[in-house]
Amino acid sequence: MSRAQLTSMTADNVVQETLVGSTGNSIKGGSVAPFVAGKNKIINGDFNIWQRGTSFSSISSGTFTADRWFVNFDGSGATRSVSQQTFTPGSAPVAGYESSYFLRLATTVAGSGQTYSNLAQRIENVQTFANQTVVVSFWAKANAAISLGTVFGQNFGSGGSSSVYTVGPSFTLSTSWARYTGYITLPSISGKTVGTGSYLELDLTWPQNSTFTLDVWGVQLEAGSVATPFTTASGTFQGELALCQRYYYRQSGTENASMFLGYGQAYSSSQLYWTTRLPVQMRTTVQALDYYGLQVYLNSSGSGYGISSISINQSSSISPSLFVTCTSGLSTNTMYNIFMAGSSSYLGFSAEL
Amino acid sequence: MDNITTITDPTGVESVIITHDDGSFTSMLKSTYDAIQASSTLAANSAPQANSTES
Repeated sequence: MSRAQLTSMTADNVVQETLVGSTGNSIKGGSVAPFVAGKNKIINGDFNIWQRGTSFSSISSGTFTADRWFVNFDGSGATRSVSQQTFTPGSAPVAGYESSYFLRLATTVAGSGQTYSNLAQRIENVQTFANQTVVVSFWAKANAAISLGTVFGQNFGSGGSSSVYTVGPSFTLSTSWARYTGYITLPSISGKTVGTGSYLELDLTWPQNSTFTLDVWGVQLEAGSVATPFTTASGTFQGELALCQRYYYRQSGTENASMFLGYGQAYSSSQLYWTTRLPVQMRTTVQALDYYGLQVYLNSSGSGYGISSISINQSSSISPSLFVTCTSGLSTNTMYNIFMAGSSSYLGFSAEL
Repeated sequence: MDNITTITDPTGVESVIITHDDGSFTSMLKSTYDAIQASSTLAANSAPQANSTES
């Protein structure tokens, strides 16, 4: 099948294409079939999974937004937000492609002193695409013609060689959805030492010290110099969720405001230990917890004991043991229930890179 | 402004508890927290930028 397309070269290795009709089944070249699981190394490139929430205001550097995507910047005084936006069926983002959501990044107060500012994703293992030509592609639009660049970071992990950063192609966005593609050959890692937790990082670098609104969808990073039709890393909804949960898993009260989370055994009048089970084996042992609004109960009808802290006692990639501190009143060696205490309650487990 | 405290559980495991302005919490082993702090400083000092100004 074929599709008509308008293609304009904006730089030696940068392509902006506007699809004017597409079956979504054709490819532009190369030998890669259009819907191959694992072709796209970006997880949640269609921004369909938002375990941490769908709107993030006044974000700080390092904040994770849509699953696997975080922001990274310096400087001061800027006001930024990231939010989930909904495509109107039949309009997303060009004819022939359908998806539910896209990501909007807005800087409403410019701030000052910024030397870097990225929407980024880390891909496990620095050996990914090392010494290979890769093509990055995405759909985007902005409130004005802004520049969006790319940087590829090769991080060699704990105990490994120093990070290597390579500036990739840059694009000038328009105010209408268009697909942008560009390729680059990543450095070899010959002679490098690879430690634990290494990764390849893709940075989409937005304008510094200025205000703008950026919309993005369909981010793909694949081998070769020609972008093939977009597909998620897994090709399925459940597969993509499982991929995301390898790095972060959240139980949320939005699903059930009084959700039962598990049993813990009291160690003292205000402390208990609780071992839980994760749905997917994580990338490594759980590195961090985030939580809000949880309570301990003796039974479902009794008074709750407010939790003041939860920490990792014995970390695990599948079954971590947690240490819980709560208001006093527990009976030592008695089993207690841990529940959500409202629709805004949550408990998250992170093994992000 | 986040409030950062350190706790030690009865088995001797040391953790950092970060209390955020909205009342939510983040916790991690102190060794993890220290490693993140060290790598953040390193990254901020070395990361380049593809585009420095709005076109």
